[in-house]
Amino acid sequence: MKKIVGALVVLGVIGGGLSAFIWAISNNKVVIGYNKGYQPDQPIPFSHKLHAGQYKIDCKYCHVGTEVSRHASVPALNVCMNCHMTVKTDSPWIKQLADAYSSGKSVAWNKVHLLPDHVKFNHASHIKAGKDCTTCHGQVAEMEKVEQVSPLSMGWCVQCHRQPENKAPLNCSTCHY
Amino acid sequence: METQDSSKTTKYWMSLEQWRKDPQFAEMAEKEFLTSPLQSDEGKEGWARREFLKLMGASLALTTFGCVRRPAQKIIPYAKMPAEIIHGLPNIYASSYYDGLEGFGTLVTTRDGRPIKIEGNPDHPGTGGGMSARAHAHILKLYDPDRFTNAKRNLQNENRTNRETINVKWDALDTAVVEQLKKGKVAVLMGTQLSPTSQMLVGQFADAFGAKLYSHDDISYATLLDGQQECYGQRAFPRYRFDQARYIVAVNNDFLGTWLTPTHFSKQFAQGRRNTANMNKLVVFESLLSLTGTNADERFRIRPSQSLDVVMALLHEIIVVKKASRYAGDGGVQSILSNFAKSRGELGLDVSGIADGLIQNRGASLVVTGGPQTEGEGALALQVATNFLNAVLENDGKTVLPAAAAVHTPGTRGVDELLTALKKKEVSTLIIHGCNPGYSLPSGAGFSEAIRNVEMAIYTGDRNDETGRLCDYLACDNHQLENWGDVRSIEGVLSIQQPTIQPMGDTRAFQDSLMSWMSGAGKTGGLRGAKTWYEYLKNHWMQNVLRGSEDQWVELLQLGVVKGSGSGGGGRSFNTSSLQNVKPTQKPTGFELALYETVGLGDGQLANVPWLQEFPDPVTKIVWDNYACFSLRDAKQWNIREGQHVTVTTDNGSVTVPAHVQPGQADGVVGLAIGYGRQGAGQVADGVGVSAYALAGWNSGRAASLGMEVKVAVAKGMTEIACVQDHHTMEGRQIVVEETLADHLKKPGGNVHRHHVASMWSEHQYKGNKWAMVIDLNSCTGCGSCVIACQSENNIPVVGKKYILRGREMHWIRVDRYYTGSPEDPGVVHQPLTCQHCDNAPCETVCPVAATVHSDEGTNDMIYNRCVGTRYCANNCPYKVRRFNWFDYTEIQSPRHLALNPEVTVRHRGVMEKCTFCIHRIRSGKQNAKIEGRELRPNEINVACAQSCPTKAITFGDLNNTHSAVRAEFNKEASYSLLEELNTKPALKYQVKVRNTEKLKGEHKKHGKGSHA
Repeated sequence: MKKIVGALVVLGVIGGGLSAFIWAISNNKVVIGYNKGYQPDQPIPFSHKLHAGQYKIDCKYCHVGTEVSRHASVPALNVCMNCHMTVKTDSPWIKQLADAYSSGKSVAWNKVHLLPDHVKFNHASHIKAGKDCTTCHGQVAEMEKVEQVSPLSMGWCVQCHRQPENKAPLNCSTCHY
Repeated sequence: METQDSSKTTKYWMSLEQWRKDPQFAEMAEKEFLTSPLQSDEGKEGWARREFLKLMGASLALTTFGCVRRPAQKIIPYAKMPAEIIHGLPNIYASSYYDGLEGFGTLVTTRDGRPIKIEGNPDHPGTGGGMSARAHAHILKLYDPDRFTNAKRNLQNENRTNRETINVKWDALDTAVVEQLKKGKVAVLMGTQLSPTSQMLVGQFADAFGAKLYSHDDISYATLLDGQQECYGQRAFPRYRFDQARYIVAVNNDFLGTWLTPTHFSKQFAQGRRNTANMNKLVVFESLLSLTGTNADERFRIRPSQSLDVVMALLHEIIVVKKASRYAGDGGVQSILSNFAKSRGELGLDVSGIADGLIQNRGASLVVTGGPQTEGEGALALQVATNFLNAVLENDGKTVLPAAAAVHTPGTRGVDELLTALKKKEVSTLIIHGCNPGYSLPSGAGFSEAIRNVEMAIYTGDRNDETGRLCDYLACDNHQLENWGDVRSIEGVLSIQQPTIQPMGDTRAFQDSLMSWMSGAGKTGGLRGAKTWYEYLKNHWMQNVLRGSEDQWVELLQLGVVKGSGSGGGGRSFNTSSLQNVKPTQKPTGFELALYETVGLGDGQLANVPWLQEFPDPVTKIVWDNYACFSLRDAKQWNIREGQHVTVTTDNGSVTVPAHVQPGQADGVVGLAIGYGRQGAGQVADGVGVSAYALAGWNSGRAASLGMEVKVAVAKGMTEIACVQDHHTMEGRQIVVEETLADHLKKPGGNVHRHHVASMWSEHQYKGNKWAMVIDLNSCTGCGSCVIACQSENNIPVVGKKYILRGREMHWIRVDRYYTGSPEDPGVVHQPLTCQHCDNAPCETVCPVAATVHSDEGTNDMIYNRCVGTRYCANNCPYKVRRFNWFDYTEIQSPRHLALNPEVTVRHRGVMEKCTFCIHRIRSGKQNAKIEGRELRPNEINVACAQSCPTKAITFGDLNNTHSAVRAEFNKEASYSLLEELNTKPALKYQVKVRNTEKLKGEHKKHGKGSHA
């Protein structure tokens, strides 16, 4: 009897846990693998809110590849130093930046928006198609710390490609090759 | 359908096994992969176990951290970004390539500062953008892990046999070398310098130190030059115009595969062939079956020692019998020809028809000869006789033009003179550059003994190879992609060589070494103030070519090629007194040796590039080995089977090698390839094959094999020879189609067996682009440049001999070689084969996970991240073009991984892959058009194989674009689809091979002409 109760309890716990898990997954309470909401700390707390929001520096001033290349690209430190040679040079963070620049060691930023290697995404053609940066990246100009606001899952990509007004290709080889 | 009948009368066959209808072959033909699943001994190399542990680790990680973020990645931007780099976009630089005597302009694609691909420069008039397999492979030589990264000192013992080296600083090396150079008695041994500025610098170095210059090329063309000297008084390479020749005779000469400048010649040859209304005819007399022989319209088998007899027989027929020359009344010429009466009889060939053809095409014919198998006693006579034949046919000034420029530095002596000087102790310092005499001089030359007499030997090679270990210092030269320079090709075209990467190690340009030794000794007079090789080069160009304009220099770097260089012509007069030494030679009675160069390895200097070791020989389709070739008759007589070890012995030495039975080879000849058996060349090259130079003789300063008798003994043991041709056999009815020229002109494609097929399904609709390809079998020479181009473009791994034997080669494009007619004297057709991108693709319907799908642009896409590796698709593909990753080939030895193309996914273990029609090029082409806000231009997008093809046999483009080249080719009458009866509707069509001959080989079995339902 004891054994049966014990077994039932164990089974119940496992079964309940499993059902909760399945419910959570199927109702998007837990997203496996995708990183929506990911907001890592950066080695130097660069604020988009300050640069893009308050000072209204254009995204493409720093992310130079956006209109021509697949990669929007994180700016090289010489782009930062264009201003920070003279701006706020006494800040410890800027000193750290200047050190990284002059030593040539650069800064290892944490990648926020990550696509797997088997996905080829091209920034330039999406910008050309009239999509704004915020379509995928959200209101970065209001973010102190950049957060991934879209799931960047395949379903999320395809749902937009399927809209007839976008005239976007739907071949597998559009992104996978 | 008469499938039963047709299989009985197979007109084309791939191997002797297929021809004999060997049951083993039949079994093999049915399989996609020869061995499957994995066998117990596989992966014993150590990594399979590692793989297992890695997978264990991965699954553990998955179960534990399933809901956590994928591994965090870092982005490390440049601190100071170079202005020209935009991350994600390639930078393309104009540069130049040279190897042996071939040199042409190239365009080098770099990504983030590292070169990843070399392509021909379309502006180069010699090649028009075509490439050779070897030129592509140079990218891997740059990233060769066995290349020395700094200067070395070899702590020699007395016999100069030491194999250990220590690092040495350049300063220390310079001090020691300068000290030594000041003592005088300096000699420089160099391969031919295609760079005119280098030549000049070497000349100034020689002046500064009173050095003597000696010349040695690993593949020597000295006899050709001697012949030119004898007959025309000019020791320089003539310019051949195969495109102007309507009738070409090649006597033991492989001008399409290896001889002199094959890429250039292939382009010219195809130019004279594509327009079938005015098509050239190629007649080949040869001992082994060479690439040129496989393209012949008529081919005759002769022994190497009969080469001269053939030329003399043609001369006799033209001058004496047909009296079709002004030399007909020349008694001197007649008496020389009469000496050959006996050998003409022994030759037993009726050359009357060929003589007629040559006479009819007087001034538009061309006779060529020469190559490793014709070096030796009588080699000069052969060259002289050939020159005379061209003179008799009035080809001088029409298809044989005088040289554009001497490629040698004036005053250069032969290597035999160096050996004499060494033996007499007249040299105390020897500098060796651009050649590997330790490998390519036969033992009879006594180089390794003679070099003991020098006080200091300096080698500019990049590894401790056969020559390196004889020398004291290794002043490692840069790779050509790291170096400045210029190239004047033999046809006279000037191009600039721009470095595409900083030297990867602490190596130094050979020219910089010379300059620093000159300035170390205070002898900078000739340098005109230049401190570096770059300054010297630029000064030279500014003063002599560009007339001081900085703008022109920038323009030159952008274009790469000097427009208008290399043109001009003119005739020469033949000096008949040179004929005095043309006499019949003694012929061996037993087996004759024929050394030859392979298309892949050439002189062996690229032997450490795995792509080339796994490059199927265009004729034998064998990889990873050299072998003694025998004719069918000899093999039968001596009971030699494929792979049987044989010991081949000459007066000079002996080697034991596996045997290969080669259809189309002349009886009584043993063929052996040079370029193998390297020592100290690196991890890939060492231990592959044997060095054929062990057999070569030493004749007037050249490695000789012409007319050398060899003894053959069957030895114990067998080696499995890795031949890729029997793998991936298509069991179809009509795969290659040939037509005689007469038939073709009457009705192009008349020999194509057309089928009327109907489909039960509604067809795909292609509203936008529809990508398609046409391969012209008539232009294709089978050189295999496309194979290595594709390998370089698409990150295709090398699997090694063991797995080739199991049918697991990974090449996405292969060149199938079909024989036809009798095995003793077959005809040959080459057919490049890649994914057909069928409209009704059989692979797509069987994939359980939809990893291979059809796009609305007609391509058959392979989605690696979806593939679970069932291999159903490969089993269902009638063309056998799918390749499976049996192992993880993604772990590539550093720094070879730098050659990977970031546009193409590196496939992991367990997924299927195949030709994608270079989908990444299509994507980036379309994206660029979109970004620039325009429509795609016709022919804007090209694929790697088509780009590389020296004969432009491959056309790629958009079938829906009315202006595209591929649309015109696709709809030509001569185009046909492969296995049309299956109704797969390939997006790739072939055009028939046209033979300029009366009757096709193997034609008697012709059947099923016309169409049937």
